[in-house]
Amino acid sequence: MLAELKHTMRSRRGQLIGWAIGIALYGLLMASLFDSIVGIEGFAEMMAAYPEDLAAFFGGLTAITTPRGYLDIYYFNYMPVIIGIFAVGVGAGLLVSDEEKGTLDLILSHPVSRTALFWGRVLGFLATTVLILFVGWLSWVIPVQGTEMDLTWIEILRPFLPLFAILVFFGMLALLLSLVLPSVRAAGMLTGGLLVGNYLLVGLANLNEDLKAFTEYTPLYYYQGGKAVDGLDWAWLGGLAAVSVVFMLLAWWRFQRRDIRVAGEGSWRAPALSRIFRRGRSLQAG
Amino acid sequence: MTDNLAIVTRGLVKAYGRIRALRGVDLEVERGELFGFLGPNGAGKTTTIRCLLDLIRPNAGEIRVLGLDPQRNPVDVRRRTGYLPGELSMEDGLKVEGQLRYYNDLRGNKADWSYVRELARRLELDLNVPIKNLSKGNKQKVGVVQALMHRPELLLLDEPTAGLDPLMQQEVYRLLREAQAGGATIFFSTHIISEVETLADRVAIIREGVIVEEAEPGRLVSMAIRRLWIRFLEPVDPSALGEVEGVTLLSQNDGQRVLLQVEREVDGLIKALAAFPVSDIEIERPSLEEIFLAYYAAGPVEEVN
Repeated sequence: MLAELKHTMRSRRGQLIGWAIGIALYGLLMASLFDSIVGIEGFAEMMAAYPEDLAAFFGGLTAITTPRGYLDIYYFNYMPVIIGIFAVGVGAGLLVSDEEKGTLDLILSHPVSRTALFWGRVLGFLATTVLILFVGWLSWVIPVQGTEMDLTWIEILRPFLPLFAILVFFGMLALLLSLVLPSVRAAGMLTGGLLVGNYLLVGLANLNEDLKAFTEYTPLYYYQGGKAVDGLDWAWLGGLAAVSVVFMLLAWWRFQRRDIRVAGEGSWRAPALSRIFRRGRSLQAG
Repeated sequence: MTDNLAIVTRGLVKAYGRIRALRGVDLEVERGELFGFLGPNGAGKTTTIRCLLDLIRPNAGEIRVLGLDPQRNPVDVRRRTGYLPGELSMEDGLKVEGQLRYYNDLRGNKADWSYVRELARRLELDLNVPIKNLSKGNKQKVGVVQALMHRPELLLLDEPTAGLDPLMQQEVYRLLREAQAGGATIFFSTHIISEVETLADRVAIIREGVIVEEAEPGRLVSMAIRRLWIRFLEPVDPSALGEVEGVTLLSQNDGQRVLLQVEREVDGLIKALAAFPVSDIEIERPSLEEIFLAYYAAGPVEEVN
């Protein structure tokens, strides 16, 4: 398992460095701009003058001049989608991209059990995600000392935990789907679509009460964002972690029973869909 | 299943949807043997090997590798086995040495690195080159090194010389013979008949997922159809020869020179010829290639299970 953990970290180091640099630069920039942005004359009035619907989409903009509101709206509000792209991409390709490249065949011919390989890779995913978030946390903690953002290191750390939980949730969902759907691409696209769809739906639910009935069953509905500075919603975190563990266990179970494909070998297709598309084409032609 | 067998399969069946890749494969490979597995593309060679390593699971049948069930003890089987896949793919981002060290990590660092360097030297493989810069032949050399580097008890090699030039092919043959001399069992698949003729102690021919023949390469030749030209000292009536079991009279020139086709052993024919004044016998021996093609020219294979 250790060899696989090391290998996953090593093979993802390019992504890790790229994402860490991007997240660090953005955090440093936004943290150091706090005083300047909040200090703009009439900034609070300008925010209050935003169209109600637009403000509602982001859960309200009036709190933006407070450290918590600033952190929420300029960072944690959309970080699930931004870093979520990384989590979904890595999760979907964690095992099956090696299978599609044909390298998994040879790796699994070595004395490593499927269980050890699976959990080694999952640990690699978790460790890589933690490292990126750690760099993101540092990028706020260090510059915030020189600003008027009155936040301690632990207050800044708190919102990173719900963010981590969301990333693990969608990463593990992508992993599970990659072992069920025909390709890494299909799993990545579907999970990415669910993530972005959930994000938009939660924003729109602030405008339309009827949508709330749907969104309250989705993971991002309870996402605290920057509001977690004041305290964590442990029930939501526990629930999300439990569902993520279920995804992991289902993915592990599926991987145990899987025939390992070699490069170029196809996967399943949906015959019903193929028939529908063929019929559609023939009707058009007719 | 006896202890002196390195590989045993009984009634191995593997289907991919409607396609039945293996239709009841029965194999026995003795410990210390160099066993060739001959068949064209799509015959079931790779599927059989991948079942032996639990990379894919058969739908039916029984497998024992070094006395172990690969589905119950996959890690133990793989610890004692070296594998070279037919479609070799490796991490493009690593150098050859990095790739080999990763595989060695997976084996708990069991390989003797001086042996790895010796293998690389003999195969003229540079360890400091990125994998992405290697030709197909050089990638194959990396595959050969990783299969041999921990001196396994059993080598499962899927077309081991694919992409190698003739000199390197000879070097790989030497390495395999040395591994065999060291006590290893070698099971290799190929569609190159000369490889089996020069290397294998025994050979099995697989066709459409069924083993159609299993024997020593020389025995396969002796069991095959061959043609005999027989010259007599004086004109004779050769019709009696055509009545011998397995013998067909193809042509006769004035009764003094006849062409016969013989299936399997020639013993019956030799005994029948004792009654004739024979001047000369000329046997056209088929190559293993002709035998192989004869198996594939035959009709559909009957299903075992």
